[in-house]
Amino acid sequence: MTDLAVQTAPPTKTNSLIITISRVLMVVALLILLGYLLVYAAFAVNLMQFPFDYDQGEGFELVDTIMFSEGRLPYQDTNVYPFYSSNYPPLFHVMAAPFVWLFGEAYWYGRLLGFLGTLVAAAAIGVAVYREGGHKWIAVLSGLAFLASNTIYHIGPLFRQHMTMVMFETLAVVVLANVNEIQDTRKRRITLAVGLGLILAAGYTKQLALATAVAVFVFLFIRQPRRAVIWGIVFALVGSGIFLWLNRATNGQWWLQTISANVNDYIPDQTFGLYRLWFSLHGFLIVPAVLYALYELYFARLSLYTIWFAAAVANAALSGKWGAGDSYFATSIAALCILSGICFSRLVRGNWSFAPSFYTRWLIQPFRRIAPVVVAASLIIVPLCYIGYGRAVLHMPTQGAIFEPIATALGLEANADNGFYDSAGRIAGGYANIGHFTTQADIEEGWRIVDLVRQADGDVLSEEAAFNLLAGKTVITNPTQILNLSLNNQFDSTALIDMLERQEFGLVILRALFYPRDVIDAIYENYEQTETIHMNGFDYMILTPIQAE
Amino acid sequence: MNLKHVFSNDFTLSKRVLGALMIAAGIAGFVGVLMIEVLDIGRQGGIGPSQRIALGGCVILAIIGATLLPLGKNPA
Repeated sequence: MTDLAVQTAPPTKTNSLIITISRVLMVVALLILLGYLLVYAAFAVNLMQFPFDYDQGEGFELVDTIMFSEGRLPYQDTNVYPFYSSNYPPLFHVMAAPFVWLFGEAYWYGRLLGFLGTLVAAAAIGVAVYREGGHKWIAVLSGLAFLASNTIYHIGPLFRQHMTMVMFETLAVVVLANVNEIQDTRKRRITLAVGLGLILAAGYTKQLALATAVAVFVFLFIRQPRRAVIWGIVFALVGSGIFLWLNRATNGQWWLQTISANVNDYIPDQTFGLYRLWFSLHGFLIVPAVLYALYELYFARLSLYTIWFAAAVANAALSGKWGAGDSYFATSIAALCILSGICFSRLVRGNWSFAPSFYTRWLIQPFRRIAPVVVAASLIIVPLCYIGYGRAVLHMPTQGAIFEPIATALGLEANADNGFYDSAGRIAGGYANIGHFTTQADIEEGWRIVDLVRQADGDVLSEEAAFNLLAGKTVITNPTQILNLSLNNQFDSTALIDMLERQEFGLVILRALFYPRDVIDAIYENYEQTETIHMNGFDYMILTPIQAE
Repeated sequence: MNLKHVFSNDFTLSKRVLGALMIAAGIAGFVGVLMIEVLDIGRQGGIGPSQRIALGGCVILAIIGATLLPLGKNPA
């Protein structure tokens, strides 16, 4: 028994009206998603001009980059001065290190790398959809849909390693998706080596890439267990070799700071809220992605894209960890853009094949006659899905010469800082307060804080690294890192609290009180708030030593 | 199905075998999550929300695996 092929004839004159409507709708969808690309590029340029932390923690990524540029590893003992350590793998910082040599200490190049990473991932998504579905328009829309996602928009242009990880993951999956079909042994081995090398790169950019590695090896195992085992051994040897070298070179701090410190409290409500948010924003693409995954599961062969999608959606459950957030869904968004794109391409081309089975006989055969109707309807429904998606992810500035007239025409009112509308809102826990543009006033307020740091005697304890870096002072500790360690009983705060009690810091700058509880108590016992500076939507509390009476 | 055949160049998993593996993984995962509860005797509060999510995931995995069994030798 052969596969049941469902292929419709090319459209005739009778449905030329449908084709015309479809093309008009495709153009509308394309314009909407190109509009989001414009907003995204404007946001990226705006952030590259902002010389301070936009998202808490960016400055510590810069510190890591500076340390790598000096040939030092940032995995250090946090119990001793300056109490600093990184909690992320090194690759992103190593990639950014040459920029330190060329341009000194700055945020823009890290943000540029993140932004470019999303563009590369979007291009890879488009290539995958075109290769598997053969529809240029939908391939372009799929790549643009990735960039239009609120989540990608929020974190893409940050000095963070997350989107570089997603870029490596996406490239790896696109490279490996058809590796089993390569007949030439040498070419297949090179493809496997490149793909698995990209997975390693993703893993050494951020630990979260583990799920993609699992998806790849599950896929390889399903297709040919022998190949999966042999290449799995090679992969494990290389990956663990790098791991062991890092751990040895840092006297065990690599393990403590990047693995042990990442075991955080889990907040289920945060997970549920973020899954709801993910679905409400991306539902127009999630539903077709899931339907296509079910098609592969029951009627065709499982592709790497489907397994990756399932693994990424499951892995997003980790978004409930303290300190995690919507960024944990970025990989699943890349995967769903590919799967929905392939699904849409096949729908409009009417190109399906069903393996003979119990399910095909009962669920597909009886409806074979309506295949042409499904294709005709798809010509309308597919672009409407992208238009609907465009409405769901609505985010744009409501101010400025270009955006204000559009926002007014759409009846939008700002619901975020500095005149910005974001459909993602602030409805889920763990949702970072980001996405809005920065202003000249924010920059001026930031420099005011830097001036205070410059004027202060001795070291300054700041919750964000930018002020110390720009003032030419040592960056003292990474608050979220010592908080994580403290919650796992792996941080000895004695030396830091001694410094606070001796009022050795000329100034303390707080924003979100991310320090461990005993450190915060020591701060408030020895320092008093003398000023509050509002910058970028946050109140920065300036504390000076309490004078003895 | 012997191990030598499984690790030959022309072997690929069938839908039935994949379904069976998913059922096994679902059952093993379910028991594993329960064992965490049994062995972690110092903890209060019984099975929490995250464990319930994990248990639900294991059940779904096993059910999906069961629905693959009728697909027989079709390649996975």
